[in-house]
Amino acid sequence: MSDTLRLPAEQTFASELEALRGGDDENKPQGWALSPRATVTYLMGGKAKNGAPISAKYVGDKRLIETAIATLATDRALLLLGVPGTAKSWVSEHLAAAISGDSTMIVQCTAGTDENQIRYGWNYAQLLAHGPSRQALVPTPLFRAMEAGKLCRLEELTRMGSDVQDTLITVLSEKMMPIAELNSAVYAVRGFNVIATANNRDKGVNELSSALKRRFNVVVLPLPSDMDEEIAIVTKRVGEMALSLDLPAPKNVAEEVARVVAIFRELRGGATLDGKTTLKTPSGSLSTAEAIAVMVGGLSQAAFFNNGKLSAEGIAPNMIGAIVKDPVQDKAVLEEYLEAVLKKRADYAEYYRMLVDLV
Amino acid sequence: MASAVHILGIRHHGPGSARRLVEALDELSPTIVLIEGPTDASDLLPMLADPAMVPPVALLTYAADDPARAIFWPFATYSPEYQAACWAMRNGATVRFIDLPAAWRLAPPEAPESDSKEGAEQSAEERPSQEANPLERDPIGALAQAAGYEDSESWWRDVIEENPAPGPVFAAIADAMSALREGAVAEGREAAREAHMRLEIAKAVKETDGGVAVVCGAWHAPALSQKVSAAADKALLKGAPKQKIAATWAPWTSPRLAFASGYGAGVAAPGWCVHIWTTARAQIATRWLTRIAASLRGDGHMVSTASLIEAERLAMTLAAMRGRPSPGFEELREAAIACLCFGDALLWSTISARLLIGAEVGAIPHNVPLAPLLEDLQREQKRTRLKPEALDRELAIDLRSESGLDRSTLLHRLTLLGVAWGKLAETGRTRGTFRERWVLRWEPEFAVQLVENLVYGPTIAQAAAGRVGAKLDQASDLKQLADLVHAALVAQLPAATERGIALIEKRAAQTSDCAELLAAAPPLAAILRYGQARETDSAQLNGLLTRLLIQGALALPYAARGLDQDAAKTLCAIIRAADGAVALIDLSEVERAPWREALETLVHDGQATPLVAGAAARLLYEAGALAPDAAAILLGRALSPGRAVIDAAGFFEGFFEGAGEQLIHDAALREAVDCWMQTLDGDQFVEYLPLFRRSLSNLDRMQRKRLLDALLGRVETSLARRALLPDAAAIWPAHFARLSQILTARPADE
Repeated sequence: MSDTLRLPAEQTFASELEALRGGDDENKPQGWALSPRATVTYLMGGKAKNGAPISAKYVGDKRLIETAIATLATDRALLLLGVPGTAKSWVSEHLAAAISGDSTMIVQCTAGTDENQIRYGWNYAQLLAHGPSRQALVPTPLFRAMEAGKLCRLEELTRMGSDVQDTLITVLSEKMMPIAELNSAVYAVRGFNVIATANNRDKGVNELSSALKRRFNVVVLPLPSDMDEEIAIVTKRVGEMALSLDLPAPKNVAEEVARVVAIFRELRGGATLDGKTTLKTPSGSLSTAEAIAVMVGGLSQAAFFNNGKLSAEGIAPNMIGAIVKDPVQDKAVLEEYLEAVLKKRADYAEYYRMLVDLV
Repeated sequence: MASAVHILGIRHHGPGSARRLVEALDELSPTIVLIEGPTDASDLLPMLADPAMVPPVALLTYAADDPARAIFWPFATYSPEYQAACWAMRNGATVRFIDLPAAWRLAPPEAPESDSKEGAEQSAEERPSQEANPLERDPIGALAQAAGYEDSESWWRDVIEENPAPGPVFAAIADAMSALREGAVAEGREAAREAHMRLEIAKAVKETDGGVAVVCGAWHAPALSQKVSAAADKALLKGAPKQKIAATWAPWTSPRLAFASGYGAGVAAPGWCVHIWTTARAQIATRWLTRIAASLRGDGHMVSTASLIEAERLAMTLAAMRGRPSPGFEELREAAIACLCFGDALLWSTISARLLIGAEVGAIPHNVPLAPLLEDLQREQKRTRLKPEALDRELAIDLRSESGLDRSTLLHRLTLLGVAWGKLAETGRTRGTFRERWVLRWEPEFAVQLVENLVYGPTIAQAAAGRVGAKLDQASDLKQLADLVHAALVAQLPAATERGIALIEKRAAQTSDCAELLAAAPPLAAILRYGQARETDSAQLNGLLTRLLIQGALALPYAARGLDQDAAKTLCAIIRAADGAVALIDLSEVERAPWREALETLVHDGQATPLVAGAAARLLYEAGALAPDAAAILLGRALSPGRAVIDAAGFFEGFFEGAGEQLIHDAALREAVDCWMQTLDGDQFVEYLPLFRRSLSNLDRMQRKRLLDALLGRVETSLARRALLPDAAAIWPAHFARLSQILTARPADE
């Protein structure tokens, strides 16, 4: 057992990758550790050539993963788009692990990221002592990925300022990065590519400039399409989080999860689950991750203020926070949902009462 | 002397198949071309090659005594059958249909040979071929699906045409079908059809020395080349039903060729089929992506040429990953979404309908036989005893009698079809009455207009339903939808009515525009309240109307904020109409409550536009939800000196619009206004004076006089305080006789 809290994907799933590599006799693009088809198997699960089982890393539409991998094979950059909690970073990590055997070349983009963190920085002691030279250069993950011919991951691309984003344009279209100070450049080795992730719901902080957008092929990862699958995901994650926060899990967690997920899915999908009534959707994303947060909030309220009893009383205030992001528009949406749908459901009476009081 | 028979198994509406068929015909140059289709419509076949005939068109056969029993055989440009007919006409070959006569399938349902499966099919019109088995209907599609293809044309191209070992395509298909059909014995209708086709082929072979080409669905190819004795085939065809049929051509549309429109043998994407048919093979991917880009640009999205290159590269890589020789429909779609739509599937869906379905409408030459709609009209005219006359004739209809209802229904349906034979004499709705007054006048051009509706259906009822359906699809707001539902209801089109109601439900959920929601309420309320003369499903409508009102009520306070003069006036009118609707229908107190609450919120909401707030207060007052003294306090507050004069004026105007009459009769209200006015000092009063003048300006002289009389107590205006004369009953007859005399007397000088 390792002391590390979490190992990168290529180490956690080393045996699966090994098994796939063993039987992989198909055409590989230069610089790739696995063929595109074996990469699809690694992501979607299945069996390696030698019969070893491969677990599914992504549950959902296979075509999306195929498009993503085909994109990387055309040496176009890949942009994974989706609301928070749709496994964008997870997919990007596993793609890098399978294709380059290394998922650690990563830049977390934030509003504070500047060009030096994307291109290269300087070791100022060296710079002052010996003047500008390759030795004084501090390479970034992008720089190193170009030199090594591996995949570089850019997390939350749109959080970084537009001016900084635009430094990527040359790298993506010409596969080289000029180092003006040394009058030289770094040229990408075959196998180099970029996987970026971004959030398409709350517009991040910055729009992607259209020049940059054009250099990416975009794959949108959707929310889970199946109710039971989503309930299972939420129940599992809530259990794990409650454990790590030392919160006791009451018996009725599963029932309440089912209700919360049902309400979330109805509002998110714009229709009741029986398909009989169409609804308006609120401006928030109401992702699976938010359902998990609502449940964990409810659990902690139950543990600390409600003698461990999990009820609508503790969950409803958290739900309001998740649903009503825009005080006017979303409030009207919720009111309409409460009056048109929830009011008539006997088993949601508690939720109706609490939510009406709180709205 | 026997001649060579070439059985060419094709895929219905398959462009790849059509292309190969034309090549094969050029090579074989047969003297007779036989096509799978009803024999009794063969004489119409040459018309298909008429230059004035623009596909998509449909061969329409119907029972001569009942056009509602009709079958359509649609043909697109890329239909192999159409290409075969055109080839035959171009090359002077004889062309004939060889399938069972349409009479077999148009016979009344009680015909002995119809088993349950056939019965089900007869009820559903517009099936070009009656194969219930999906494998039989489109065996190539089934093979493609089994190979993991969504689009069978791509499979056709990849597997049949790009086959590394090219061979005669039609022989390969026949082999594949023999394998598919192995073990299965054709029975029932299918056996009869194949027997009939075999006999027809044998007949054609005897007629000519040249070759005979048979164009039939791939599924039938092996059966037609089987050697079966003519006697055995004839045995299968015993008991042919006696049914007189009529056949003609009807214009068709590409959306109705689509599988999604309910046409069983349709194609998934007519637009894609046209594209493959019209584009050279090497350019299919490039041109398709260019068309997608053009569509996107047309919608104002930016798509660069570089993106197109990237999209094509991605499509090619995807095809390679999936082990396909060239990018097909799916790869192109996925590449377009990733590269041109920036991953946004929603953007794709905005253009996909236009691209995939297309909007082509066919045209037919003028010399085609009489359309069934005209025949149906003549029959209906006879049944309802309404004669077409070129001069205006008035017609009063009593909707309570069956014949009256029939007549009204026919006239309403014709109106829906754009044939204004009858015009309703009273404009507006037939409010609360069971009478309708029509003015009838037949114009010759109505016949032409009627035939144009053939695309919607073969009878007046079906065509009217189809046309309303099409309009419902285009209607963009709730009011239009509600009016269409009303029109469908009076024309007795229950299916269209239901669909309209479902659409209103959907639209209502999506809109948050309060004015739109509330504007839809009055027509629906009118249906509920006055629809009794006709059969309606009121429960569903009631639910819908309640929902509209609740939604509108919830949105109302927000909608009433910050409006300018014109917008406020419009909203006031809508609120008044909606309030009328609330009063019109039976609503429980609970259901009515949200509306009341919304009005109350408006009255007390400081941000609401004063004019609207005033109107809301007035409605509450009229409904008795606002007591007169409360109204006086409210007026006082709304008009208090602290408020800007313009706001106070707005409220006053909203409250008193058209209320002068009420002031005359409602002592309590008069009292309230009077009280408030007396609190005004001289300057204030002068300041408000223009406002009062404006509010009361719509009173005429008599009304003003009565108002003044009432105010100054000169005359008792209330009837309640008048006492009846003790001997009134006795003297009334005499008064009445005298009155009648005066009223009926002629002027003395006449």
